[in-house]
Amino acid sequence: MTLENHILDLLSDINLAVGAGETLAIVGASGSGKTTLLSLLAGLDLPSSGRIELMGNALHNMDEEARSAVRAKHVGFIFQQFLLVNSLTALENVMLPAELANLPNAEQRAKALLAQVDLADRVNHFPSQMSGGEQQRVAIARAFITQPEILFADEPTGNLDSKTGLHITELLFDLNKQNGTTLILVTHDEKLANRCHRKVIVDSGRIVEDKYTDQSVSLTNEDLSVLDKDTKRTVNE
Amino acid sequence: MSSMNVWGKQSLRLLKHELKRGELTIIFLALVLAVATVFSLSGFSHQIKAAIISKSSTFIAADRVLQSPRPIAETIFNKSNELGLRSALKLEMGSMVFANDTLQLAELEAVGDAYPLKGELLISDQQGNITSQKAPAVGEVWAEQKLLNVLGVEIGDTIEVGLAELKVAGVATQIPDASFSVFTSGPVVLMNVADMTKTELIQPGSRLTYKVLFAGTPEQIDDFADWIKPQVNETMRWYGIQSSRSALSSSLTRAEQYLSLASMLGIVLAAVAVAVASRRYGQRHQPMVAVFKAMGASQNHITKLYCLHWGLLSALSITFGLAIGYGLQQVGLNAMKGYLEVEVTVSMWRPLLIAIATGLLCSIAFAIAPLMQLVSVKPLAVIRGFKHQTFHWLQLVPAIVALYLLLYLFSQNALMSMALLAGGIVVSIILLVLGQMLVNFGRSAGSKSGKALHLAFANLKRRAKENSVQLVSFTIAIKLLLLIVVVRTDLINEWQAQLPKDTANRFLVNISQPQVDLVNQFMAEQQIPGSGLYPVVRGRLTAINEDSVVKQVTKEDDPDAQQQRRGVGRELNLTWRNELPPSNVLIDGQWFSPSDERPQVSIEQGVAERLDVKIGDTLTFQLGSEEFSAEVTSVREVDWQSLQPNFFMIFNQYVLQDFPATYISSHYVAPEQEQAFNRFLADYPTISMIDVGALINQLRTVIDQVSIAVEFILVMVVIAGSLVLVAQVQASMEEREREIAILRTLGAKGSLLRNSVLLEFVCLGVVAGLMAGIAMEAAVYVIQTQVFEMSPSLHLSYWVVGIAAGAGFVGIVGMLSCWRLLNMSSVTLIRRTM
Repeated sequence: MTLENHILDLLSDINLAVGAGETLAIVGASGSGKTTLLSLLAGLDLPSSGRIELMGNALHNMDEEARSAVRAKHVGFIFQQFLLVNSLTALENVMLPAELANLPNAEQRAKALLAQVDLADRVNHFPSQMSGGEQQRVAIARAFITQPEILFADEPTGNLDSKTGLHITELLFDLNKQNGTTLILVTHDEKLANRCHRKVIVDSGRIVEDKYTDQSVSLTNEDLSVLDKDTKRTVNE
Repeated sequence: MSSMNVWGKQSLRLLKHELKRGELTIIFLALVLAVATVFSLSGFSHQIKAAIISKSSTFIAADRVLQSPRPIAETIFNKSNELGLRSALKLEMGSMVFANDTLQLAELEAVGDAYPLKGELLISDQQGNITSQKAPAVGEVWAEQKLLNVLGVEIGDTIEVGLAELKVAGVATQIPDASFSVFTSGPVVLMNVADMTKTELIQPGSRLTYKVLFAGTPEQIDDFADWIKPQVNETMRWYGIQSSRSALSSSLTRAEQYLSLASMLGIVLAAVAVAVASRRYGQRHQPMVAVFKAMGASQNHITKLYCLHWGLLSALSITFGLAIGYGLQQVGLNAMKGYLEVEVTVSMWRPLLIAIATGLLCSIAFAIAPLMQLVSVKPLAVIRGFKHQTFHWLQLVPAIVALYLLLYLFSQNALMSMALLAGGIVVSIILLVLGQMLVNFGRSAGSKSGKALHLAFANLKRRAKENSVQLVSFTIAIKLLLLIVVVRTDLINEWQAQLPKDTANRFLVNISQPQVDLVNQFMAEQQIPGSGLYPVVRGRLTAINEDSVVKQVTKEDDPDAQQQRRGVGRELNLTWRNELPPSNVLIDGQWFSPSDERPQVSIEQGVAERLDVKIGDTLTFQLGSEEFSAEVTSVREVDWQSLQPNFFMIFNQYVLQDFPATYISSHYVAPEQEQAFNRFLADYPTISMIDVGALINQLRTVIDQVSIAVEFILVMVVIAGSLVLVAQVQASMEEREREIAILRTLGAKGSLLRNSVLLEFVCLGVVAGLMAGIAMEAAVYVIQTQVFEMSPSLHLSYWVVGIAAGAGFVGIVGMLSCWRLLNMSSVTLIRRTM
């Protein structure tokens, strides 16, 4: 990144591979580069050098359009600010990615998911009529509607009080488990990070620690063997 | 589901919800207003103009007149018939008529059967019944009462016109195109053109004026005008009521200019509203586009989605705009029905097309930059946050081009459009710089003041760039409003001043020397105000300095004329006077000093320019067999529209006082004085009286009607200006929302927030009002001097109006727009802005 003629290395020397079905927490202090890492992994941004592969797609060689297509096919998102479309109802917000991916029965799927997140009676409400927790539940439903292989979450509980945050965390991990989705999340929240199998600590743009949490114990050997080399996402310096 | 269905569906869904939720109201209203303004104004002023012109056309008894000293070619009649125009021939000449051994010089008007094409020719019969008539029958004449008086004949008697004997069949009481000149040769005799040969008055060298009167639809007239104009040579004239040199025509021309100027400013205002609102639209949709893209929507998908969204919104707005515009037009026309007979049906195609084109131009040109920025929002924004749209001057190019096209489309005047646009751009740049300076200055002033004021100034400063843009649009809106009000007031005042209540309605001509004292005495006794008596001597200009001048108006290819100086080409009415007449302004030289007995003359500005005469030149005149010379000592500007005796040449008394003269004067005779006035004149049959009362009344009605049209347009422009203000305040709403949320969270009291918001808007309004006052003054100066040819004047009181209106209006609109925000609880605010 170039800032007033100073070249600022936001990230360097990153080497990370995430296997299918893995849940990974990227933690670190503010400004450590964790969000940048997430945006690179999701193909929202491009590295100035290095390689990033997502589901076998070389993101670093792709233009915006091609990366969009990859996202539409494989990726789901959950954001700290929820980022629901204010002019669309909860139902329409959830349907959105399914429509973009040309999936059939978008409406039924969306309704089912909203029921799963306990918002069956709020389908026709607009985001402004909902609380933060409700909005994030809509966002979760939206993230899962395409049954993405991989889900990126940027501080999903960052804007919520701890109780609601906890509820959202449960919901997120439940759905994740049901769908067998790979989850990569960025968080400050130790508790949330510890729910993941693996925790990567980023400091000053470098990965300073990469370890499996206690959660990984619950993974059977069978689970781990599913980690297919081909579906690894790597960021290499 | 095919992918085409997806973007279409999403686009419709968005449009439906956003319209319902009021998120598109401002942009919708801005477009509706642009279209409605243009449609109603162009349609309305089009209709009004047509109606007024049609009504005023009665003054020339036609829509257009072709005048020539030679017979009119047959081809011209053929062409006008072919185009479906109605036409009537009219021959005019001065000639003696004879009856009972009395000779009288009369104005002979031989007319075709279709005469008059416009207006009413009123004829009184023997019993005094007045009816509206067409041309007199062959063998008959209608004459003005004074001719009958002078000749001592009655209706039914015969008079001799040339070699023909014609029967007086009635008295002409109103002739629509009666000449309004105090120096006409005599009472009018109307006869049928078929009798002209019998009179044998048409001889080689006889001074005849041939006129053809034309009437038809505006389209027919325009087609014919295009055809005939190239054939009109120097000796001929082609004129309508607007180009005829009357007080009415100048009022009409100004009214028309005002109407199109006001409409153009209305369009500019509406366009500014569209520009402001579409910028906000782009800003507000950024998160949506980023989310769509993060979810994998392609650029193509987004572009199609927004093209459809915007396209449908524009189509809807244009449709509504047309409907509302049509409604307003009808309301306006209905309201005017009592005052104006709107019988003319004018084609509405042009206004309709202009209105649709306006809508399209506004929706495309003013929105293209924000829309292009919008669809190119990066998906990374979902993580990194949304930037304010960057602003580049290049983005203004389509808007400026569109504005020019709009102005041109509306005015059909490339130069005026360019001038207006260039002026606007220069003013905007100056305002932008000024605005930024003022905002910066405010910061340092604010730091020394109270809390709310401090916060208000801090806010102003922090958003300096947006604020100076906002300031410019506030200023332009207020300026244009002031401009329209000021020009309207000046215009209407001037019209009214032109015809004050005691405007002369009678002219007395041909008063002989011995009658002067009698007339003066009578007027004094009856307290009839007047211009005073002016002596009139007819003379011909023969030389300027040592150079003799051309006697006749000649064509340019006449070889003799090339060597000689230009002359006036006819006899002039000369007068002498010791004081400068009231409606004359000295623009060069000195007025006569009573003690200076040198022969001196004061010349009218226009003639001086035409003859290239300067102060110090010597003019030589011939009166009968005598010649005399006088030095030009002053140049006067003469208000030819004042209903007073006006002269090209005024001498000091020592030059002309020994020549035999007749006198003329003008008077305002009140209705109750009329009887005495007429009785007095009956004793002096040689004095001619010209009654211009009817003409003045007609003039007044037309001016009243035009004034109403002007007021209507003012209202429309005010609405357009208000919308710009509302749109501009709305545009800053999101950011305000965030700020208020933060301040609330930090514990700012409601009253502090309210006061700071109010003060911020009031400050903006005051500054905008002040700058608008200054800018308006400059614009008014240009318009008054360049467009309306009025004398410029200062309007300091309107500066105060501008400042007060700016503070009040911007303050109120700003507060109302923020009211909801200010009264929200911190929690709601925070939730909304997160």
